[in-house]
Amino acid sequence: MGADREGGVRHRLGRAVAYAVCGVVVLAGCASMPDSGDLRDVESTPRQDTGVRVFAMPPADDAQPSEIMQGFLEALTSDDPQYDTARKYLTADAARTWRPEESATVLANGPSVVPGPQPGGREPIDSLTYVLSGSRVATVDTQQAYAPEDGSYRKKVHLTKDAKSGQWRIDSLPQGVVMGKSDFQRNYTSVNKYYFASSTKVGATGQPVAVADPVFVRSKVDPMTQVVRSLLAGPTSWLGPVVRSSFPTGTALQEGVSGLAPDDQNGLAVPLSGKVSRIGLAKCTEMATQLLFTLRNLTPTLESVELQGPGGHRLCDLTAERAESTAWHASAQSPEFLYFLDGKHRLVRLPTGSSGTSAVPVPGPLGEEGGKELQSVAVSRDEHTVAGVGADGKSLYVASLASGGSLGDAVLSSRGATATDRLTTPSWDARGDLWVADSDPRDPKLYVLEQGVGKPVEVGIPDLPGRIRDVRMAADGVRVALVVEKDGKQSLLIGRIEREGRSGERPAVVELRSAAPDLEQVTTMSWAGDSRLVVVGLEQGGVHQMRYVQVDGSTLDGPAPAALSGVKAIAASEDERVPLVAYSEDGIVRLPSGAQWQKVDKDGTAPVYPG
Amino acid sequence: MSGDSAASAPGRSGDRPGRPVGRTAAGSRWGRFFEGGLLQGGVQGSPVLRLFMRWVRRPLLPVMRLWRRNIQLRVVATTLLMSLGVVVLLGFVVIGQVRNGLLDAKVKASQSQATGGFAVAKQKADEAASGTAAGTGDGTAGTDGRQSQNVIPWMSDLVESLSSGGAGAFDVVTLPVGDDSGGGRSPRGSGYVNPSSSVPGDLRERINSSTTAAQSYTRIVYSNGKESQPALVIGKQVNDPNGRPYELYYLFPLTQEEKSLSLVKGTLATAGLFVVVLLGAIAWLVVRQVVTPVRMAAGIAERLSAGRLQERMKVTGEDDIARLGEAFNKMAQNLQLKIQQLEDLSRMQRRFVSDVSHELRTPLTTVRMAADVIHEAREDFDPVTARSAELLADQLDRFESLLADLLEISRFDAGAAALEAEPIDLREVVRRVVSGAEPLAERKGTHIRVLGDQQPVVAEADARRLERVLRNLVVNAVEHGEGRDVIVKLAAAGGAVAVAVRDYGVGLKPGEATRVFSRFWRADPARARTTGGTGLGLSIALEDARLHGGWLQAWGEPGGGSQFRLTLPRTADEPLRGSPIPLEPKDSRRNGGLDEAGLPGGAEKRATVPVQPGGQVPPLPPRSPMASRLAAVTPAADPTALPGHGNGARVVPRPTGGARRPDDRPAAGPAPDTHAGRPDPAGPDDSTEPGEAFRGR
Repeated sequence: MGADREGGVRHRLGRAVAYAVCGVVVLAGCASMPDSGDLRDVESTPRQDTGVRVFAMPPADDAQPSEIMQGFLEALTSDDPQYDTARKYLTADAARTWRPEESATVLANGPSVVPGPQPGGREPIDSLTYVLSGSRVATVDTQQAYAPEDGSYRKKVHLTKDAKSGQWRIDSLPQGVVMGKSDFQRNYTSVNKYYFASSTKVGATGQPVAVADPVFVRSKVDPMTQVVRSLLAGPTSWLGPVVRSSFPTGTALQEGVSGLAPDDQNGLAVPLSGKVSRIGLAKCTEMATQLLFTLRNLTPTLESVELQGPGGHRLCDLTAERAESTAWHASAQSPEFLYFLDGKHRLVRLPTGSSGTSAVPVPGPLGEEGGKELQSVAVSRDEHTVAGVGADGKSLYVASLASGGSLGDAVLSSRGATATDRLTTPSWDARGDLWVADSDPRDPKLYVLEQGVGKPVEVGIPDLPGRIRDVRMAADGVRVALVVEKDGKQSLLIGRIEREGRSGERPAVVELRSAAPDLEQVTTMSWAGDSRLVVVGLEQGGVHQMRYVQVDGSTLDGPAPAALSGVKAIAASEDERVPLVAYSEDGIVRLPSGAQWQKVDKDGTAPVYPG
Repeated sequence: MSGDSAASAPGRSGDRPGRPVGRTAAGSRWGRFFEGGLLQGGVQGSPVLRLFMRWVRRPLLPVMRLWRRNIQLRVVATTLLMSLGVVVLLGFVVIGQVRNGLLDAKVKASQSQATGGFAVAKQKADEAASGTAAGTGDGTAGTDGRQSQNVIPWMSDLVESLSSGGAGAFDVVTLPVGDDSGGGRSPRGSGYVNPSSSVPGDLRERINSSTTAAQSYTRIVYSNGKESQPALVIGKQVNDPNGRPYELYYLFPLTQEEKSLSLVKGTLATAGLFVVVLLGAIAWLVVRQVVTPVRMAAGIAERLSAGRLQERMKVTGEDDIARLGEAFNKMAQNLQLKIQQLEDLSRMQRRFVSDVSHELRTPLTTVRMAADVIHEAREDFDPVTARSAELLADQLDRFESLLADLLEISRFDAGAAALEAEPIDLREVVRRVVSGAEPLAERKGTHIRVLGDQQPVVAEADARRLERVLRNLVVNAVEHGEGRDVIVKLAAAGGAVAVAVRDYGVGLKPGEATRVFSRFWRADPARARTTGGTGLGLSIALEDARLHGGWLQAWGEPGGGSQFRLTLPRTADEPLRGSPIPLEPKDSRRNGGLDEAGLPGGAEKRATVPVQPGGQVPPLPPRSPMASRLAAVTPAADPTALPGHGNGARVVPRPTGGARRPDDRPAAGPAPDTHAGRPDPAGPDDSTEPGEAFRGR
């Protein structure tokens, strides 16, 4: 009995000690940092914008004329939506007639203010002239299209002293705004507007092809609304003849709409006015596609748009996934394979997604060992057909990628004297047409073969300044990038392709414009986005370097790809996730995003992505 | 002692010490004002306010009562309050220390960062200036124009490059020197900072006036709607490439520090709350350990005082509480023993007196018969012997009545007296008594007048005892009335009836009014006793009055006569609340203004009579201003203290004397007297205030 009780007590004591130990262990767990635990999502915090802002100040009382000039020019670089502060530096008349949105002139180093000729005499002066001068870099026109320029800038600004208030004000000045290059890059951002190519359709369903039309908007002044207005206003004049907009003429944002911003589900409602009420669903979806493509350019997280007619009723809405099936969009097409010629002159291919380097020969005649030796190849965008230029550059062959076919005869041949003066690398567009240039200095020509099988048609280039060394078709088939050589200097030109514009006429490349005015030598280039190219070239007084350029000639803020020496050819895809591939001294190398150049094939040449 | 306390006995028995009412009555004026004002609803003013106060204090009253009575609650509440104070104090100190530590670290890091930034800005300006100078060496344009071209983009570039070094960690702002619109320059800010409203004005003035760096605290205001936050701002005046000064500021948001501080604050608040609550609980437990035995002791003591002397405390352990319990039990034991002994003794004595009286009666009867025989035959004796026989008969009469009185008293003491109450008309009793006293009155030449016998004065009383009391009073009055009139007054009001017997004889000296009821007490031992009183008459009368539940009180002044008042309840077992007749008659010397000293205070005091009949001021607080005033006007406030004073023989100035002297019970007791005169049966506190106010005029 006594022993029983003693045992019970001991039992109870043991239990109490066990509880106490458990408690201490739990408390000790609370008192130290956890080294294990459950899984949880990490919410991404948006990176803080460190952009510099200039806060425009109205003119001080009794400010000196030079201070007026200084303050006015500072106000032009501010975020003032309608330049209201800048207008306070103007006389009433000048403020009424001055239209800052008409143009933006970009000067290399900002405008310098030089006092103009002063009227002589000792009487107190009440009018002064200043000269704004600098070296031009570019102009953004009324349509917000960027155009590189050079030359010097020199405009007069006239100040008067108001008789009544005794304050100096500007009463005559050039239209538009003027600012330095760095201010421009801070204040403006490039956005691609999307339209549809008027003549190009792809696929069995005849999807329209989206064409990018880059414009510059002020990045800190309600950019989304600006972009929507600009999109509704129509394409820029350079691209205008070959694209169409789904928006009926006269469509605009509803009166007083500003500050468009996505809601918390990343959807955006766009209220439209004009003749949009009776629009069919297909047309409306196209409109929404244009809007979504354009705005995703500015806000990549945007998921859907909804069009609203007058009175706020819903016309249609569109999500990002459906938009991709509504229109063909080059940057959304991911090439399946990277193609190149291996050391045995076979055309081999490598899946773009893989990180391996074991390329396999393509089926078809070009993949067979002991076939025709080629200098360059181009694979059509549907990856069914391949075009190749013979090793001497003399002949162009077109073959199928299906196994069992055979390489036929040359579809085109050049009469150039040397291998370098003959056919360039061919290029396919989204329609399936094959383009190739003959760089024979005596008779430079650009040919197009419809669907790659037709008779070569010579393309007219009315104002070609020299001979074409390289040609790359944009996926949309309405723009072409040409490397044109003249007097030993090469320049990168972008041209617009007009075909079937006037019945019976052959296609033509018109309105060539420079995309990289500062490059003297262009070794190679490739499209690397809807309106972006990657170029290997030589700046005046510089070294060979690889960089991205915009088709409108503006430079991009983003970083250039990692440097690589001795690049002879480069291949990029419109899809930015696909690694850049180059043919350099080390053979074929590629640059996966976020990594360094990797060797793919030491003996390979002529790397291409479809296109 | 016990005989004197007849009047106040009913009132006192229910008046337990320590009761709130008692406290309130004895409290200071301020306390009374506070409690009266706030808690008793005594606010003078609009009825709305009074209603509001009543509405407010109604739920508070139980709380206040609990607060007053519960020491545990008080201790716990005090502990809570004090620990809360300590925690708050500690919290402030700790938070202050943490804040200073955080700020010190931040300020040091920020200063080195900003100093580096200022150096970079200066270096960039120098580089740009030398570059421009080199570039314009052969230029033809004016140096001013050439130089000013660069500043707009240059400064934006500078701000951008400086701020890109610490995204989120700091922001950079430039401001023109001077006021906001200085020299056409515009403020610049990185990261949505609003420059002009984020930099404090006095820092700008300081930076403008000197070239050294300065720092300040500010709130960053953001232009993109972000919430503003505290920040450290360090600024310096720097030159741009043109050599023109501008102000460069580094703003370091104190967001992290704020977060750390709020973490500390939250921790402290939580810990403090726990500490306070736990301390309160601990205090509750500890106090409970002490208070529980004390409460038990209080309960036991209450039961002991209620007469249950066998109650004892439970004692466990050996601590202080146990010692208290042991001592308490020992005390109770001793008390019980002593009380038992005293009771036994008292019972023995009573029995002895009773036995002696009985035993004396038998031989006395024999002696009486013998004496009667001798008395009958006194004619035959010589004169001396006849005189002796007469003396013998007289003294035997006295002896007999003395024995009867002794028996009566011993019956009272033994508690054997029984009341045979029935409704009777007091007028008949008075009439009988007066007619019985007529012979004596005629001998004395006194005329007995009866007042207030127009209406029946009916009460439940024992007619025999009542007659004995009244006869005693009337005969006394006639005897001491010195031939002047004796007035018997009857009155009935408010559940009580009263008979007052007034004479205009020598009166009573101060202090005698209570002593007259003592057994065998004589006003003047040398005085001849014409009626041969036993000295027990008034004692028996007092016992009779007490048996009825009534009062018998005496009043007198030297030379002014005296008055004895018998007050009985109208129904036998109803407690008395007052008397219809004032104890001090209206025609007393004091009321008549016949102040012996001729002081004019009489007129003033007459005013008290209607309000406080008989001068029966209830037991005022001893330091009441009125009492001190009374004492000042009549220095003979305490008659026994000033026996040699000319007018010290007065009994009247009782307000002070009555409250101080423990044996002055008849004066102190009839506090309810006032209620008889005033039909409004308000509380005892209320009754004093109007009286005071009235008298204070």
